[in-house]
Amino acid sequence: MSKTAVTRITHSSHLIEIGGRTFLTDPWFSTRPGYYQGEPIAVGIADLPRLDGVLITHEHYDHCDLEAFAAYRDQSVPMFVAETVVESARKHGFTDVTALAAWQEAEVGGVTITAAPAKHGVYEVTFVLRSGHDAVYFAGDTMLIPELAEIPQRLGHISLALLPTNGLHIRPANNMQVVMNAQEAAELTAILKPELAIPHHYAFTKGFLGDRLITSSDKNPMRYQEASRDVAPGTNVRIVEPGTRVEL
Amino acid sequence: MNTAIRTVDLAGIGSVEVSVADYGSGQPFLLLHGGAGPQSVTGFAERFAAAHDVRVLVPTHPGFGGTPRPEALRSIPGLAALYNALLDQLDLQDVTVIGNSIGGWITAEIALLKSPRVSGLVLIDAVGIEVPGHPVADFFSLTMDQVFQRSFHNPESFRIDPATLPPAAQAIAAGNRAAISVYAGATMTDPALAGRLGTLEVPTLVLWGDSDGIVDVDYGRAYAAAIPMARFQLLAETGHSPQLETPQQVIHAIWDSADTDFTAFAR
Repeated sequence: MSKTAVTRITHSSHLIEIGGRTFLTDPWFSTRPGYYQGEPIAVGIADLPRLDGVLITHEHYDHCDLEAFAAYRDQSVPMFVAETVVESARKHGFTDVTALAAWQEAEVGGVTITAAPAKHGVYEVTFVLRSGHDAVYFAGDTMLIPELAEIPQRLGHISLALLPTNGLHIRPANNMQVVMNAQEAAELTAILKPELAIPHHYAFTKGFLGDRLITSSDKNPMRYQEASRDVAPGTNVRIVEPGTRVEL
Repeated sequence: MNTAIRTVDLAGIGSVEVSVADYGSGQPFLLLHGGAGPQSVTGFAERFAAAHDVRVLVPTHPGFGGTPRPEALRSIPGLAALYNALLDQLDLQDVTVIGNSIGGWITAEIALLKSPRVSGLVLIDAVGIEVPGHPVADFFSLTMDQVFQRSFHNPESFRIDPATLPPAAQAIAAGNRAAISVYAGATMTDPALAGRLGTLEVPTLVLWGDSDGIVDVDYGRAYAAAIPMARFQLLAETGHSPQLETPQQVIHAIWDSADTDFTAFAR
């Protein structure tokens, strides 16, 4: 039986292998002025494996780089996306695009995809992928909200959680927080109780001036690892470099 | 510091030789001088590189400082394309471009080329946009004495009598004046620039001397208003060339901008 595994490509973009299927999350394959991964892009679009599905949480460029991802060789790949992404995905040539709202589900080759709630600067959904006993939760760049506590109640045990940790704040918007921070990610880990958790969305930078004028964020994922040790001691938290495949 | 002559291939122009002075090492900055020539920014570059782990590149715009200018290179967007290609050639990432006066106009045009290499802009008493009721001072009709008067909060510290300069320096000054005219024209504005700046998404800091008599403070506020999310900051007791007159204020404004209360300079 194939193993559940994840390969972080960069930022929140992962390849998730589950139930013998492969899914790509939140594609980001290019850079723009003021938007930098802060870490390598480990897999280029041409080198992507055959994908059974693509999951996109919201329309922000660093999660939904459709302009670059349009170069993927199969535009009929099934896409499961926040409803705000549907139009743009179709405009970029993708033909099999399904909007999922929180708690709605779909199925691809024996893998169940369920959207979960989220809260961010714009409308967002997160996703749970389940096959048999294994389930992967992909949290995009949501804030920690009480509704996320319903995930294990509604969808059962989570084996692997992919969580943002940089606590991104937007300075010109009264320093509004739009992404969960390390402590909040640790609290969510304690709620989900996965065997394995991998942080993402921490190396991102808006550049020298952007990090001063526009955003502030915590670029150290070890804070999440340390916070989880206290509140979620049963979870193995691994900080994973882009390109490293980790099996459950 | 070292200075190198870089040869940059520019579409439609050909090979352009540009003299680039290179200060320090670390976080990269491209520092663009205005009509006062490269020596109006080199002292600042040295000071900045001594204060922080930064690499400051200071090109001399072809035609300034006694350098040759290809006949076909005769516009601010042309200079922007030149420096964009230079950043490619040097393979620099996360570059903050700083420009004073005409250098600020070049900076704005570089931003409009939207290279991912350019992550931020610092416009210091920049020219280039048209602001009704707030024209750029007519540099070519001013005496040098009037230029000094309008350029500094405290002109006495900077005033020189051009007639006392040695002939070689007078020739360079005349060349600078001719280069300003070629690149920026008599008005030093592009009526379409302000509208085009509305498409920018790059983090921008607009610094303005509160005593600038070349382009006034309201012009500076209009510049910041034309660029989405730009932050505006006044510099006290400072004229048109803050990097010369109050360099410490400029370094502080850039390096410590995360701690600035921009509401104090609200539009």
